[in-house]
Amino acid sequence: MADEHEKDAERRDGGGHNPSRRRFLKGVGVAGAGAALADHLLLKPETKAAQKEQGGRALSGTVNIALNVNGQKRNATVEPRTTLLNALRDHLEPAVTGPKLVCDAGTCGACTVLMEGKAVYSCLVLAVDAVGKHVTTVEGLGSPQDLSAVQAAFVEHDALMCGFCTPGFVTTISAYLKKNPNPTLEEVREACKGNFCRCGTYPRVFEAALAAARKGGSKA
Amino acid sequence: MQQQPQPQQPAPAKKKRKIRVPKVVNGVETMVEIEVDDEGGPQWGANDKHTLLNHRLTRVDGPLKVSGAAAYTYDRRVQGMLHGRVLRSPHAHARVLRIDASAARAIPGVKAIVGATNEDVVEGSNRAADEAEKRDRVEMGDAQTPKKKEREVRFAGEPIAAVAATTPEIAEDAIRAIKVTYERLPHVVRAEDAVKEGAPLVYPEGNLEEKEKRGDAQKVLAALEKSDIVLEAEYRTPILHHSCLETHGHVVDYRGTEATVYASTQGTFTIPGDAAKELGLKESAVTAIVEHMGGGFGSKFGIGIEGMMACQLAKQAGAPVKLMLTRRDEFALAGNRSGSWQKLKAGVGRDGRVLALYATQYQLGGLGDGSQAGQPYIYSVEQVYRERISIHTHEDSSRAMRAPGHPQAGFAMDSLMDELAYKMGIDPVEFRKKNLKDTVYHRQLDRGAREIGWERRNKTPGAGGLGPLRRGMGCAIGTWGGGGGPQCQVDVTVARDGTVVVAVGTQDLGTGTRTYTRAIVAEELGLQINQVTERIGSSKLGAANSSGGSTTSASLAPAVKDAAVNARLSMAGKLSGLLGGAKPEEIRFAQGRVLGGGKSLAWKQACASLPSAGITAHGEWKASLAGRGVHGVCFAEVEVDTETGHVRPIKMVHVQDIGLPLNRTGVESQINGGMIQSLGMALWEGRVMDARLGLQLNPGFGDYKLPGSLEMPELVPIIDDEDKREAVIGVGEPAIIPAVGALVNAIFNACGVRVRELPATPDKILMGLLKERRTV
Repeated sequence: MADEHEKDAERRDGGGHNPSRRRFLKGVGVAGAGAALADHLLLKPETKAAQKEQGGRALSGTVNIALNVNGQKRNATVEPRTTLLNALRDHLEPAVTGPKLVCDAGTCGACTVLMEGKAVYSCLVLAVDAVGKHVTTVEGLGSPQDLSAVQAAFVEHDALMCGFCTPGFVTTISAYLKKNPNPTLEEVREACKGNFCRCGTYPRVFEAALAAARKGGSKA
Repeated sequence: MQQQPQPQQPAPAKKKRKIRVPKVVNGVETMVEIEVDDEGGPQWGANDKHTLLNHRLTRVDGPLKVSGAAAYTYDRRVQGMLHGRVLRSPHAHARVLRIDASAARAIPGVKAIVGATNEDVVEGSNRAADEAEKRDRVEMGDAQTPKKKEREVRFAGEPIAAVAATTPEIAEDAIRAIKVTYERLPHVVRAEDAVKEGAPLVYPEGNLEEKEKRGDAQKVLAALEKSDIVLEAEYRTPILHHSCLETHGHVVDYRGTEATVYASTQGTFTIPGDAAKELGLKESAVTAIVEHMGGGFGSKFGIGIEGMMACQLAKQAGAPVKLMLTRRDEFALAGNRSGSWQKLKAGVGRDGRVLALYATQYQLGGLGDGSQAGQPYIYSVEQVYRERISIHTHEDSSRAMRAPGHPQAGFAMDSLMDELAYKMGIDPVEFRKKNLKDTVYHRQLDRGAREIGWERRNKTPGAGGLGPLRRGMGCAIGTWGGGGGPQCQVDVTVARDGTVVVAVGTQDLGTGTRTYTRAIVAEELGLQINQVTERIGSSKLGAANSSGGSTTSASLAPAVKDAAVNARLSMAGKLSGLLGGAKPEEIRFAQGRVLGGGKSLAWKQACASLPSAGITAHGEWKASLAGRGVHGVCFAEVEVDTETGHVRPIKMVHVQDIGLPLNRTGVESQINGGMIQSLGMALWEGRVMDARLGLQLNPGFGDYKLPGSLEMPELVPIIDDEDKREAVIGVGEPAIIPAVGALVNAIFNACGVRVRELPATPDKILMGLLKERRTV
């Protein structure tokens, strides 16, 4: 019901042509996917029973996982379909809310985190797939009292306004400077093409990235 | 001698004057007349004599925002909080026959289900009027069909119901499990269809609604007859989406007798009243918190339907509820910039003066009215007739969006002026000057032309460069009223330990409110900016206006200044004894010291001499510190690939006057932002509707194209320092207006194609080029 357009598209296309695994899990057959994954994720039997008893359809189950977030082991109870982003924001206690939920569809970059040092959209990663991997969020790069070179450059160059896209840009650029410590302006533009900003901070984001690179931002 | 009681002297009547100030309701600005004191009052002093203001200040909330530590509404989590989700109508126009939520209710973890209106009867839920009936149905699940009250949905995406569950995932399942039976009704979602004979009616009165008629049509027609050149053209702009990155929403921390509502809003004080009504509490029992917010652009005033449902869910569940709209929700029901369809006919005399304009302006606001500045916008035209008419469609209501109605009107008028200039064979800048009385524009046009290198432009459109890549330049102008009014109540406290706090309930949308609020106080007290702390974003602090119509800084900054001046004088009064009995107004506060009577105290030393409670000073708006009315021009250079129709923006220059710039860095950032949002409107953005299905085809960032990093041109924001007004004026809206026209005019100059319907996508450029080739 929530995605009537997608459903229309599915009907037209005969359904399931979309190769995105997460879309499949989230949108097409929650019940089926939950059941399929439940086997190897060991759906708690009591949950199943409880659902049966109360007459609801067993749409999903839960699984306990441990994530490695910013160097700390963090336990969470998630569903197979829970994204890494939702796990961080809604299933950890205390929550990790630096990565923002903006589009939930891999189009805007506001949820960018580093997984094994690589920038990924955390809304496109299933929480269960992040188990055993090192996840670094913007909080892991620096704190207000101890900003990383990239974060400090963002402040200095006014590379933010409302700030909702900022954690994504900071994370993306931090990862990129590790790969390419001395980028050109063109390379910086290319590096953050997967991040949207609505307030219009791009020019100053570019300035900040280049300034951070000059100051050795890749070490941050 | 015996003391005679002094007769009570009536205070000498203060000299008053009447002024007009903007009042913003739901982002829509109207002017009201008020009376203000007309004697002196605090002054900012010359714009070039400030120590902090009009300098480059570092955004004070920067460190929190770059490290993920800033708490937005979306980031809030309170004990026992449930997650809300909204069920939307999949039909543009339908009767809702039955809402059956019994299956949803049976899902473990689902705690509350409500209908979208008070009248909705949601089976398996309980938001009908009768409390007992409600209880019954909660207990019985899908009970006997309660009495039906017919409800119509009038746009695809209109909320039907909402649920709250223990996790977002379960809430999503619950939404999918609600069964709604609709009876589909005929719909109309395109303006050109809505004006046809026999079109489905959006309102019983019809799809057209007259908004304004002005001028003498006969005189205009006569003047057109006498004109040397007459041009008739139609311009269209699509409906646009605000696309705030933080979606609309709230965390309603309902505690039975009181509530705290965290809101992503442009108006902290628009929240408690709305929420109290839904929660059945007194307004004073509700506190609104807006610590940081992720963009509004005119769409976030009041709690809206999503906030009402969040309150109802919280009340029903007896637990806090977070209900943030999904991105799809946001596209469907969180407002939009109205589209436009403008038919203009203009006549020009031999001397290059525009003699007549006949304008029919349709504003396309869906269920709403939409908005459009009246033509000829800023230009002087001898005879003008205009009519503004709303065309209603089965689409969600438009809301205010950054400079409501101006970019639409500006694009059409500056396109028309450009077309006329080329027809007349006059330099477009010179042609504009001939038709602009206000000489500030002349100055700004010259400045902008210099900055972009206007002399390099094609004298013949399309003649720039060899091969398929053609460059060209264009320009356009904009205006905005803005201004401030007396709503803000500001308190400044100085503690004995030297701590300075400025408190007011206002909100910072990312425009830099926190930064200049601090800076004003710091400058007044001779301190560094980091020696002052601001407390904002709470309805329990002093009143403040909503951030709409670029009225925040012009309303807030004067009150902050007034409070800071009062704090300085109050402190000086207390310190006079230590400073050789110097008069308070003669005591100076500078560079972290307090000086007077030939003596000097360090700040800490001075504060230590204050009474134990320190001092508190209050400030209110002063007309002497605020201004209104601004001018802006934009010049753009683009490159058109004549083989693909692709437009690459190369450079944009925006010249803007705003009186006293509180923070030059912040002002420039906002001008950049305005140019970038205009870029989206000119080249990429636009809602696309499927006429048959009545649905939006591009309700997501994958298909609704926002400006991105790869498309960024070189941006040159210029603050027009020739403006010597010692008054604060907002810059949010002015910055977005002229660039749209400038870009489209640059496309014409580059390749000879006149795009009259936005966005200027490759298909339109290619079709234009094809037509030209055929004509040649």
